[in-house]
Amino acid sequence: MSSHDLISLLVIAQLAAPLATLATIGLPALAGRPLGETATTRLVGIGFAAGFLSGVAALVILGGRSFRPEIVHLATWFAVGHHEATINLVADALSVPYVCFSSGLCWLVNAFAGKYLHREPGFTRFFILLALFGAGMNLMVLADSIDVLFAGWECLGISSALLIGFFHERTNAVKAALRAFTTYRICDVGILTASVVVHRAVGSGDFDRLFGVDWPNGTCLVSATTATVVSLLLVFATLGKTAQVPFSGWLPRAMEGPTPSSAIFYGALSIHAGAYVLLRCEALLEQAPLARASLILIGTGTAIHASLVGRVQTDLKSVLAYASMTQASLILVEIGLGWRVIPLVHVIGHAILRSLQILRSPSALHDRYELAAALGGHPGSGNSWPLSMMPKTWQDHLYRVALDRGYEEMAVSRLVVGPIVRLLDRAAAAEKAWITWLSGESAGDRR
Amino acid sequence: MNAHPHDHDPNDLAALIRAAAHYLPAQGPIDVFIHHNTLHAFENEPFEDAVIHASSIFGTEPFLSESRYRDELAHGRIRTADIEAVLEFDSPHFAEAELAGGRLRLRDLHRVLLLHPVRQESDTSVRWTLTESDVLQRLRADLPTHVRHRLLDDDLEPGGRVARSNLGDSEDEATRRTTFARADMGSADRERRVCSDLWHACLEAMAISHKAFVHVRPPVRHRDLIRAVDPTMDTDELVHPLLIRLCAAYLDQGVASWPMPDREHGLLQAAAGLYAGAHGPTEPWSVHLPAALRACRGLTADEVIVTEIDRLGVPRADRGDFIRQTLLALRGWAGMIYQFQERPDRAPVEQVPARLVDFLALRLVLDRVAAEWAARRNGIPPSGHEGIDLASWRVELQDRFPPHRGPGTLARAFLLHQVSQLVGMTGHDIRSLDENELLRFERAISAFDATSRRRLFHLAYERRHRIMILDALAAHVAVASPRPATPPTGQIILCIDERCESFRRHVEELGRGYETFGTAGFFAVPMYYQGLDDWHPSPLCPIVMRPSHTVLEVPEDHSVANHRLHRNLRKRYGQLSGSLSVGSRTLFRGGLFSALAGGIAAIPLVARVAFPRLAARIGKSAADVTRRRIATRLDLFRDGPAPLDDGTSAGFDVDEMAGMVRRVLEDIGLTTRLSRLVAVLGHGSSSRNNPHESAYDCGACGGGKGGPNARAFAMMANDARVRERLVRDGLMIPDDTRFIGGMLDTCADGIAWFDVDRLPDSHHADMQAMREVCSVATAADAHERCRRFESAAFDLTPAEALAHVEARSVDLAQVRPELGHATNAVCIIGRRWRTQGLFLDRRAFLVSYDPTTDVDGTILARTLAAVGPVGAGINLEYFFSTIDRLGYGAGTKLPHNITGLIGVMDGHGSDLRTGLPWQMVEIHEPVRLLVVIDAQPTAILAAAEAVPAVKKLVVNRWIQLVSWDPDTGGLSVFEQEGFRPYVSEGTQPPVVDRSADWYGGHREHLPPARVLNGLEPHPSRQGGAA
Repeated sequence: MSSHDLISLLVIAQLAAPLATLATIGLPALAGRPLGETATTRLVGIGFAAGFLSGVAALVILGGRSFRPEIVHLATWFAVGHHEATINLVADALSVPYVCFSSGLCWLVNAFAGKYLHREPGFTRFFILLALFGAGMNLMVLADSIDVLFAGWECLGISSALLIGFFHERTNAVKAALRAFTTYRICDVGILTASVVVHRAVGSGDFDRLFGVDWPNGTCLVSATTATVVSLLLVFATLGKTAQVPFSGWLPRAMEGPTPSSAIFYGALSIHAGAYVLLRCEALLEQAPLARASLILIGTGTAIHASLVGRVQTDLKSVLAYASMTQASLILVEIGLGWRVIPLVHVIGHAILRSLQILRSPSALHDRYELAAALGGHPGSGNSWPLSMMPKTWQDHLYRVALDRGYEEMAVSRLVVGPIVRLLDRAAAAEKAWITWLSGESAGDRR
Repeated sequence: MNAHPHDHDPNDLAALIRAAAHYLPAQGPIDVFIHHNTLHAFENEPFEDAVIHASSIFGTEPFLSESRYRDELAHGRIRTADIEAVLEFDSPHFAEAELAGGRLRLRDLHRVLLLHPVRQESDTSVRWTLTESDVLQRLRADLPTHVRHRLLDDDLEPGGRVARSNLGDSEDEATRRTTFARADMGSADRERRVCSDLWHACLEAMAISHKAFVHVRPPVRHRDLIRAVDPTMDTDELVHPLLIRLCAAYLDQGVASWPMPDREHGLLQAAAGLYAGAHGPTEPWSVHLPAALRACRGLTADEVIVTEIDRLGVPRADRGDFIRQTLLALRGWAGMIYQFQERPDRAPVEQVPARLVDFLALRLVLDRVAAEWAARRNGIPPSGHEGIDLASWRVELQDRFPPHRGPGTLARAFLLHQVSQLVGMTGHDIRSLDENELLRFERAISAFDATSRRRLFHLAYERRHRIMILDALAAHVAVASPRPATPPTGQIILCIDERCESFRRHVEELGRGYETFGTAGFFAVPMYYQGLDDWHPSPLCPIVMRPSHTVLEVPEDHSVANHRLHRNLRKRYGQLSGSLSVGSRTLFRGGLFSALAGGIAAIPLVARVAFPRLAARIGKSAADVTRRRIATRLDLFRDGPAPLDDGTSAGFDVDEMAGMVRRVLEDIGLTTRLSRLVAVLGHGSSSRNNPHESAYDCGACGGGKGGPNARAFAMMANDARVRERLVRDGLMIPDDTRFIGGMLDTCADGIAWFDVDRLPDSHHADMQAMREVCSVATAADAHERCRRFESAAFDLTPAEALAHVEARSVDLAQVRPELGHATNAVCIIGRRWRTQGLFLDRRAFLVSYDPTTDVDGTILARTLAAVGPVGAGINLEYFFSTIDRLGYGAGTKLPHNITGLIGVMDGHGSDLRTGLPWQMVEIHEPVRLLVVIDAQPTAILAAAEAVPAVKKLVVNRWIQLVSWDPDTGGLSVFEQEGFRPYVSEGTQPPVVDRSADWYGGHREHLPPARVLNGLEPHPSRQGGAA
C-alpha cells in the first residue's frame, strides 16, 4: 500500500470514527432506548481515540515525507460544466497535527465528562453533542474545500449552542444558548458568502484551486481583489466564534453549560475555530493587507477590552471566559501580522492551559487557600501599570466601563437590536392595521 | 381583604427589615459550610404547619411530590397499614363525620384518595380526556372488586341498594359471589351504562351546587402586579443582572484583581459612585437610574428606603410583606449580605461593611426605576415633576389583578365522577343527595387537597422507617449483652457522625475485643487552631460556641531548620504558581506564557484526568519532600495568663484541660475499664474540585477537620498533671492507659495518626495492633461505602474498594467524592452494647451515653445540647434540600460557578445557590431525625426542658423523639401529648455473620440486620436487662 492510500485511509478514519460513534449512540437514543452510561462514554472514547491514533499515524507518515500534503477526494457532490462541488479532504502540516490535538483533547474531556455527568438527566444528549462536535471539528480541520469546511463549522455551531442550553429547564441557559446561536448565525453569513465568491472565482470550492495547499508555504492563485474579498468575509465569519467585539457578549454567558463542555468549547477548540480557518487560508490573507489590518485592529481592540473587563469579573468562569477571549484576540493579531507557526503554537498551548483551568475551576477555594497558606496571607489585589498610574476618578470610570462590559452589549442592543425590534414591531402593527382594514372591521370593534 | 397581623409596629422600619431578614438563607461564605435547619426561622411552629407555611412564603415544596410517595407506596416503602395508621392518628374526631347521607365517613374518603390517584384537571384537559379516552365507558381499573361489583350491581337491581347503603366490608360474601356471576354477563354494556349514568349525575350535581370562587389577595410587589397584566414584562429580569453584578463586586473576596472602588462607604454609596455619574450609557430601562442614584447621595439607606416605599405607593399595612418579598426576590445575595453584616468575622479574606439596609435601598431604587419604565411602556403618562405616579398605578394594577377562578364545571364533575366510583357511589346515589349534602361532599373532596395528601403520605413514609428501626432495636436489645467488667483490648472514641457507624461496626466485627464510643467530634476542645501550614487560625468547635483559646502547631526544636526551609520553598512555589495563575489571564504575560509554555499544561491535564490517583500521589509526595522531615507538636499548655492579640489565650491551663478530659469521658461513660490504648479519632473529608468540600467535614468542628481536636485531647489525657487533677476530682485514669489521636478521612478512608513517637515503648505493640485493626476496618468501610457507588463494581475486594475511594477523593471529575450525610436518618443516644452488632447502614448518629452513671441528668442535658442542634441541623438541611432541590437545595453541581470565593451561582449570573447540591442529596430519604435515647421519658423531658434550642425541636416535633427504657428496653414515642408506648410489629431483623453478607450486591437503603460477628463477646440470649 502506498503512502497515498495509507494516508487517505487514515484521514477517512479520522472523520469516520467520531461519525460512527455519533451514529451508534445517537440512533438507539433516537429510538428511545439510549445506551447505558458506560457504553456511551466508552464508545465515544473509542471514537475519539481512533481519531487521535489515526491522526498520529498519519502524522508519522506525513513527517516521513517532509509534510508533502495529500488531498483525499471523497466524492463529487455535483458538477455542471466547468463548475464542480467536490468533497475533498486534505492532510498536511496544519490539518493533521490539529486533528491529533483536537481529537486528543476531546478524548480527555470525554473521560472527564463520563464521571462528571454521572446520573445526570441528559447524559446521552451531552455525549451525542460531544460526538457531533468532534466529528464537526475534524471535518472542519480536514476540509479541503470551503463547502466541507462550512459543514464542519456548522456542526460546531449547533453543538455549541445546544450545550450552552444543556440545562434547558433554566431560562438563563436557554437565553444564553440563543444568544450564542444568533451571533454564530450572523457571522456564518461570512463563510457562506465567501463560498459563493470562491465558487464564482475558481469554479469550485477547493482550496487547492485558491492557493496551493502546501501549508505553511501556500501561494495565492487568485487575484488580489478576490483574495481581499474572501479574506474579509472569512475575518467577519471568525468574529462570532472567536468572540471579538462587537460579538463578544455571548462568551461569558456560554458558561451556563456543564463545566467539561465549557472547557473544550470556550477554553480550547470552538473559540479557536476561527483562527484555524484563517490559518488554513493564510495564503489568501497574505494577498489581503486590508483583511490583515482589520484583524490586527479588531484583535487588539478586543484584547484590550477583554483584559480590562476580565479584571473586574468576580466569578471564576467569567474570569476564564475573558482570559480566553484575550488570548484568542492575540492569536488573531498574530495571524494578522502574517505569522503562521507562532499562532498555531499559541492556539495549542492556550487551549491546553485554559481547558485545564476551566476543568479545575471548582477547586478555586482549595487553590486559593493553599496559595494563601504558602504565601502566609492572601495575595493582595489591585491594579498594575498602566491603570495604577491614572487618577482615581479615571480609574473609577474605567471600573464602571469594565463592570458594564465595555458598554458593548448596551451599544449593540441600542444601535442594532433596538432598531430591528422597532422595525419589526412597526411592520407587525402595519400588518394588523392592513388586515383590519381589509376585513372591514373598525379598530374600535377589535378592542 | 385585610392585612396580615404583624408582631411589629409597621412604622418601625428597622423592625420590619429585621423580621424579613429572619427569612433569608442563613448560609455564610461557602469555605466554611455549616449545616443548619433551612427553615430555622420557622422552628417556633409545629413542623407540619411550618413546612406548609414556609412553602407559601418561599414558593417551595412542602413535601416530596405526590407521585414520589405513590411510587414508594407501590414499592412497599409505604404500606397500606401505615396509611391507615396515620389516618387513624391524624384526625380522630372529625374523621368520623359522615358524608353523602351517611354513605361513608370522612376518613374513608381520605383513605380512598390516598390509595388511589385522582386526576384533577382543568376544563380543557377534561374535555380532551372525555373524548380521547374511555373514562365514560369504563370504570376505573383500580377499583377494589367489591366496589366494582357494587357499582355494577346497582344497575342490575335498583331495589337492592338499600341493603348495601353502608359501604362497610360486611357485605355478604355469598351475595357478592352471585352478583359477580351475573355481573359478568354483558359486563361491558353494563359498565358503560353505569359509568355514563354516573357522569350525567355528576354533571347534574354541578348544576345545582355553587361554583367555587376564590378571592385572592393581589401581590404586594410591583413586579408581580405588572407581570399579572403583562406577562412579557418581568422587571426583576431587568434589575437582577445589574444588582447581581454589584453585589458580587461588592462582596468579592479576591477573584477580581481589580476590586470595587469605595467599598468602605457601603453598597448603596459605592453603587451610586459608579452609576450616578452623567457619563456612561445605560440600558433603555435604566435611563433614569443615574438621576435616581444622584438623589440618594448624602442620604442614609433608611431614608432612601422610606422615600422609595412612598414613591412606590406601598400602604403601611403591606410594608412588612413588601419588604420581605423584596428581599426574598434575590434571597441568596440578600442573605449573604446579611451574613457579612452579622458575622463579619466569617468573611473568608477581607471584611466589607455590608449592610442589609444598603442592599434593600439599592434594590428599591432599581425596582422603582424599572417599574417606572414598565409604566411608561404601558402608556402611563408622567404626572407632575416627580415623574410617574406609581402609587396610583399600583392601585389600578391591584384592581385589575385577575381573580382566581376555581375549577370549572367540567373539572369538578370529572373529579366527582372519579371519587364517586372509588367510594362506590352510583349515579342514583349522587342524585339522591340534596344540595347541602352534595356541597359538603364536594367540599370534603376539595379540602383534601394535594398538600393534605402529601402531608399524610409523608407521615406514613416516616412511620414505616420508624417502625423498621424501632422493631430492630427492640429485638436486638434482647440478644445484646452488657460489657464485661474487665477492660477490653483497645478502645476508640470517634465522632457521633453517622458515617462513622460503619467504621465502628467493622472495628467491632473484625477486631475482637475493641470497643468504640461516639461523642461530638470536637472532643470538648473548643479552640482556634492554626496548623503549621495554615495562614491563620480557624475555629474548631460547634458554630454556637466562640472559642476563647488558640492552639498552634509548632515544629519541634530539632525540626526548626527543616521547617524554615520548607516554608521558604513553599513560599517560592506559592509565588510562582500564584503569578502563573494570575498571569495566564492577563494580556501580555498570558500571551507569552500560553504561547511558550502552555503545552506543558498537557502533563497535568492528562495526569489529572486520566490517572487521578497516580497524579495525586506524585503531587503529594512532591509536596511532602520537605514537610515529612518536620516533627511537630501542639503548643497546648499555657504557662502564663497573657492573652493573645485577638483576646484569646494561647493554650489551656491544667484545670481547663482536666475539665475537658473529664467531660468527654463522663459523657461517653468511660470512667472505668479503660484499656491500655485509647484512640481518639476526629474526622474530615478531602476532595477535589468541590466548592462544597467543607460540607463534608465535621459538623461538630464547625465545618472543619477534627484531627487537631483529637490530637489535643489525647495529649491532654496523657498529661501527668491533668491526670493528677482528675484523680483529685475522683476520675482515675490508670497509669498504663495511653491516648493516641488521629484523623479519619471519611472520603478516602484513611487514618492519619498523631504523635505516635511519643508513645512509650511499652505501648508500641498495642499501637501496632490498633493500626492493624483500623486499617482492616477502613478497607472494610471503603468496601461497604462502595456498594452505594454505581461506578464501583459489586465484586471489589476491600483493597480495591479502598483504591476506588482514594481515587474518588482526588479526582477532578468526581462530583460525588463521597455521599456525605445523605444517609442520615437516626440518632441513638445510649450505651453502645445495646446496638452493637446491629447493621445500621451508616444511617445512625451514635452517641455514647450511659444512663446508669448519669444520676441527675446533667450529662444527658449537655449531650442533648451538643448533639441535638447539630444532628437536627444536618438532618433538616438534607431534608429540605431533598424535598425541593431547586427551592431549598442548590440544584445540580454541573453549572456551578464559584463567585467571589463566597458561594456558587448557576452559570454566569444567577442568585447565589444556597443549600445542598443535588449530587449530595440524591439518595437521601427525607425523614425527620429519629432520636432514640437510652433514658426514661421523664429524664428525657427534664433534659430537653433545660436546653431551649432542643426543647423547641422536641415540642414542635422537628425531630422524632423516642425513649428507650434503660432497664426494660421498652420504647415509647413522643407525640403531641407526650410519650406513648411503642408497640412493636414483632418483626425480627435478619441474621447474618458479617456485614458484607447483608449489604453485598445492594445499592439501596437496607433495613437493620443482626451481624453475629459484631456481637460481643458471643451471641447470648440473656435478655436486655442491665
